[in-house]
Amino acid sequence: MQIPGYYEFCNKVKTVSGHNALDKLPEMLASVNSVKPLIITDKGVNGAGLIEPVKKALGTKVKSGGVYDDVPADSDVKTIKDIAAKYRAAKCDSIIAVGGGSVLDTAKGVNILVSENSDNLMNFVGFGALKRRLKPLIAVPTTSGTGSEMTLVAVIADHERDVKMLFPSLFLLPDFAVLDSRMTKTLPAALTAFTAMDAMTHACEAYTCLSKNPLSDSTAVMAIKLISDNIMQGVKKPGDMEARLALANASALAGMSFSNSMVGMIHAIGHSIGAICHVPHGVCMSVLLPYGLEYNLHKTGLLTGELLFPLKGEEAYNSAKAEERPLLTIRAIREMNSELRKATGGKHPTCLKEIVDRDGNMMVPREVLSDIAHLSLNDGAMVYNPEDLDYNDALMVLEKAWEGEPLDRKKIRKGKQTSLVKVKD
Amino acid sequence: MMNINKYPEIKSGSKLIKKIYVAVMLWIVGRAIQAASRVDREVKEEFGRLSDDFMMHLHVLPSGPGMIVGKDKNGKVRYMGWNPKGKKITLDMKVKNIEGAILMFTFQESTCVASANNRLAVSGNVPDTMAFIRILNIVETYLLPKIITSLAVKRYPKWSQMSPLRKYAGRVLVYVRTFTF
Repeated sequence: MQIPGYYEFCNKVKTVSGHNALDKLPEMLASVNSVKPLIITDKGVNGAGLIEPVKKALGTKVKSGGVYDDVPADSDVKTIKDIAAKYRAAKCDSIIAVGGGSVLDTAKGVNILVSENSDNLMNFVGFGALKRRLKPLIAVPTTSGTGSEMTLVAVIADHERDVKMLFPSLFLLPDFAVLDSRMTKTLPAALTAFTAMDAMTHACEAYTCLSKNPLSDSTAVMAIKLISDNIMQGVKKPGDMEARLALANASALAGMSFSNSMVGMIHAIGHSIGAICHVPHGVCMSVLLPYGLEYNLHKTGLLTGELLFPLKGEEAYNSAKAEERPLLTIRAIREMNSELRKATGGKHPTCLKEIVDRDGNMMVPREVLSDIAHLSLNDGAMVYNPEDLDYNDALMVLEKAWEGEPLDRKKIRKGKQTSLVKVKD
Repeated sequence: MMNINKYPEIKSGSKLIKKIYVAVMLWIVGRAIQAASRVDREVKEEFGRLSDDFMMHLHVLPSGPGMIVGKDKNGKVRYMGWNPKGKKITLDMKVKNIEGAILMFTFQESTCVASANNRLAVSGNVPDTMAFIRILNIVETYLLPKIITSLAVKRYPKWSQMSPLRKYAGRVLVYVRTFTF
């Protein structure tokens, strides 16, 4: 294994994992000298009764500063200002964020405003803008995918200007991540499937992209193993709490991994599909993951081949030749997507044309592929992708992903082959 | 009690030769970007998509050297020297130290690998950063022979992306415009 000449890795989130991990909330708050937390969530989470165990855990020992449950699917500046005003009015001193990626990112945004005593998030965009420790933040994820409870970044939209802003700072890492199996128990099968595949993509890209390092590798490999071992169980038997806890841990591990080693073209293209077609992020990741690995094979064949071990186990890994493993890894991921499609009654897509909204309408029409290709070139994740992509490359990948056909690897314009394992075209 | 005066602050060496080398390279690259914006269609289009007040400052921490490239009042792309004083920088690209800059400007590390290895800190719009990296890749293709550019970019442009005519004619014009005033 090649050790990078220089790398940085930081994760200082205290992780509390267990079937009743939430019960430790009072101790967590006491350890950061908080007596009045504000609970931030969304209507879906609140409606599913997931705030009840949080309130019950707080009991009478902690005085809650209230529950704000109006976070939209796409976190935005206006919501963050509203919540910050509520936080100040109630004289809260910490935040408990209960929800998926949007809620956690919103909570990070609120934490910036209340800690910096500001009303303008724009002052804190970009690296190095935050200079000091923020108020205590406890992240309680209710999906097992985004890994936001372990990441140092918040993505927040400004709908008035139609832009998404990136807030990367070590100070945005939550103080605690609470992984409680009860919080994902009610997650529908299709959501369980694509959020887990989102975490799988985080781990695979973290392991194969340019900023990989030994620490992010180890968390990525463990995340892949946990997802591979538990994803079907979590989808087919939603009440299996062991599988739920394993997937929550996998998501946190993958988050820890990609927060330190970044992601590549799968995320760049996926972000653009999300921006143009409003497709949930995890759905895009599920479809694009095999294509991203396939596109980069001449640079990352060896690394992709190594992922066969956590995906399919020791026997499958040892019985394959080194040059066969990369394609077997990609095949295993495609098979996983197909199995998930069956297990979710056709709700989990295996290609872009299969993505439909609640009314059954196609969400990614073929005509928008060109716009998506253009937009994806301006996504920061492209920097970390091992191979270069221009408009024609991105369009080629999108067209194949739309049809659900593997890439024609002879047509990939390849830079210098750097993989020690050569995969035949 | 410890006498702090016995332990004076250790200052890093000035690394003058390395700084001079990077300063010269930044001057050449800055001038070449200006030249390529007149010569190459793709570079022209990339700059066309950037805002009218685009101003990029690429510099080495803590005290330089650096270079500024941006659009002037008439929308023309210009190399604007090294001093950011009085200029409204919209994209600030900082190389964290001179050793990182040496790796970049001796083409041992591409811009993307330098980012991946945490050698760069960027403040500004992400699409602008991506556009500037693409511009830098094209300019390096014009300035350097294939054997060196191959180290500095992920994929050296094949014939289908950049015909030999465009490459060699462009190279001559970029060189002429870079080194003439």
